[in-house]
Amino acid sequence: MINAVPLSAVLTIAAALFCIGLFGAMSRRNAVSILMGVELMLNSVNINLVAFWRYLQPDLITGQVFAIFVITVAAAEAAVGLAMVIAIYRSRQTVYIDTVDSMKG
Amino acid sequence: MADVINHVLNTMLGLNAPEWLIIFISNSIAVTLIFAIAPLQMLFMTYFERRAIARMQDRLGPNRVGPKGIFQPVADGVKMFTKEDIVPTAADKMVHLLAPCVVAAPVMFMFAVIPWGPGMYAVDLDTGLLFFFAISSVSAVGLMMAGWASYNKFALLGAMRAVAQMVSYEVPALISIAVIVMLTNSMSIVSIIEAQSGLFISQVDVAGIPDLGLGWFIFSPVGLLGFICFFIAALAEGERTPFDIPEADSEIVAGYMTEYSGMKFALFFLAQYLLNFLLCAITVITFFGGWQGPGISWLWSMAVSEANPAGNPIFNVLAGILGTFYFLAKTYFFFFVMIWIRGAFPRLRVDQLMGFGWKFVIPLTIVNIFSASLWIGWIRWELNPDLAFLSALGEPYSFARWGFAFVATLVMNVAAYTLMTRINRSPDETIDELVADQVFGAVTLR
Amino acid sequence: MELLIQIIFVLISTLILGAAVMVVRTRNVIHSALWLIASFFGIGALYLLLEAEFLAIAQVLIYVGAISVLILFAIMLTHNVTSGEGHKFYQRWWLALLVSLMLFAVILVPTLVGQDWTITARPSEESAIAGAVEMGTAFMREYLLPFEIAAVLLLVALTGAIVIAYEERAQRRRILTLAQELALRKQQQQNHAEE
Repeated sequence: MINAVPLSAVLTIAAALFCIGLFGAMSRRNAVSILMGVELMLNSVNINLVAFWRYLQPDLITGQVFAIFVITVAAAEAAVGLAMVIAIYRSRQTVYIDTVDSMKG
Repeated sequence: MADVINHVLNTMLGLNAPEWLIIFISNSIAVTLIFAIAPLQMLFMTYFERRAIARMQDRLGPNRVGPKGIFQPVADGVKMFTKEDIVPTAADKMVHLLAPCVVAAPVMFMFAVIPWGPGMYAVDLDTGLLFFFAISSVSAVGLMMAGWASYNKFALLGAMRAVAQMVSYEVPALISIAVIVMLTNSMSIVSIIEAQSGLFISQVDVAGIPDLGLGWFIFSPVGLLGFICFFIAALAEGERTPFDIPEADSEIVAGYMTEYSGMKFALFFLAQYLLNFLLCAITVITFFGGWQGPGISWLWSMAVSEANPAGNPIFNVLAGILGTFYFLAKTYFFFFVMIWIRGAFPRLRVDQLMGFGWKFVIPLTIVNIFSASLWIGWIRWELNPDLAFLSALGEPYSFARWGFAFVATLVMNVAAYTLMTRINRSPDETIDELVADQVFGAVTLR
Repeated sequence: MELLIQIIFVLISTLILGAAVMVVRTRNVIHSALWLIASFFGIGALYLLLEAEFLAIAQVLIYVGAISVLILFAIMLTHNVTSGEGHKFYQRWWLALLVSLMLFAVILVPTLVGQDWTITARPSEESAIAGAVEMGTAFMREYLLPFEIAAVLLLVALTGAIVIAYEERAQRRRILTLAQELALRKQQQQNHAEE
């Protein structure tokens, strides 16, 4: 893999995925869709970490450990975020975040 | 398998085949065998189940099609193929079509890591056991797709219950398997089977044991509790009675499979039976030695293998046949236990099912991890000078240390089991406790 | 052999990026969740190509097996059939598109492509690639504290999610008859009027 594909190619793929996730998080109204965009961004960061690990320092395990921690935190954040979406739906009957603006000045 | 093909082509026939061709041929043979054998397994298992459950229910079962009814599964297959494929008008067509594929495809993946005999596996991953369970968790997504795409309230409800059950019983299954990983220092399925040689205890733990292939993990208290918890979790994962709420015909029509007919229903059926077969197979592999049994190691020592490239391929075939016989005999015995439990027990309600999983099985598995770590420490480690009483028992890997570890972990596991059954006693049947246990909100029971 | 790896890499990247684009462009929320699952599979395959076996299996187990199911559950529990005709995108979504494209083309790509990523002390080709065994050892030695903190974080997230989404037994929605629903609503209005 190292000889066939240059590191910048993998990093570009991760950057593209990050930008797609950013677009998804910024342009959608449904709260769950925004969370899906955030998950895409976190996955792109993971691809970056694993690519750097494999190309630059594959004998240490630090890169993979970092990626495992990112997955763990993403899972925790998805769980709490979706619980909040469900709670908001229960009281407001809507998941579109631009309608949940009662504290707007 | 690559070794045998290499031997046959290069040494016996004298061809000079390049390495990639040998790997290609061996992998193609393995994949073809898997895709040919899996549906045959399913056919046999449907027939086996219907006859066995019929005898338990004091009737005969299918016995018309062919002698003793052995062509009944073929008749079933013809029926499934020729049924009309009905899709509800308001259903999501693409998702409705893809759901059976997403449920059935992971099951075929899981066949790739199962060894049927010594040297008879498609691929030996370093993390094979984890791969097995990771892929089995993908079919939960297919269940959700099926329930959602049917545009049917009962299907959606059944799908949510089925997924909740599958996901919550993955936890005790994985923790019980983690015990086996701790005992063998490896997640590779082939190493786990090879570590179960010996006689009632493996040669790793006590030296000098003759290799009769009977050093199964079930013979230790850690393995016994792990087996009990894992088998219960496997019953729940494969949606067998008493955990078959998702497909209970009398409760929720057919659950998430309500709006499916014809070949798509056959795919769900295939996926469910093969998943049950694979769960029985992994129980046998991790706790009962897989293909290990008396005679295998003697045959294998004379066969072509990595340690012995100058062997005789006849012994490969003999060892393979004997190993497959042991493996399939044990697997079908456990499938028979699943059928037996189906014939004997009533169904659990969904809240009883979840309470049983989270409050009874999971604490037992956590205690089992604790006893497994103590087992390993007491048998294998050089101890701290402060724990001189254990060093007085003997060297690491000696019989005295093994005996002490056996007794201590047996006491711990039995105590944990007794405590859990005491804590989880069902409430006394007063009207107040029944009302509190009900899930009716605004409706009172008085 | 290298050509084969390049072809496989191009295929996997197409899957990842194509599925991600479909995630952010599909109108139907369930379909975008399913495309997200496809993207996760592609990322797992990329990890396998990068020889991170354990991480690939963990990606499939956690993301596809658990987080995707969580997302699908949340979508199904918050799906309001009547309001399905609303706009799925903001009126000014082209601004978000502009920002993302600018970020990609102006900042990220010139930085990545123009940099020389070799380090001076390159490890030799024969040193073994760290795998699952080294990860387990590392979690018990150098990374023990972050491991325990992550465990506490997961416990806190679990408890928090249960508490946030908890529904009192009395308010749990059951399939009530019309008379029971009207009675319940009248009772709730009385409660609100009293407060």
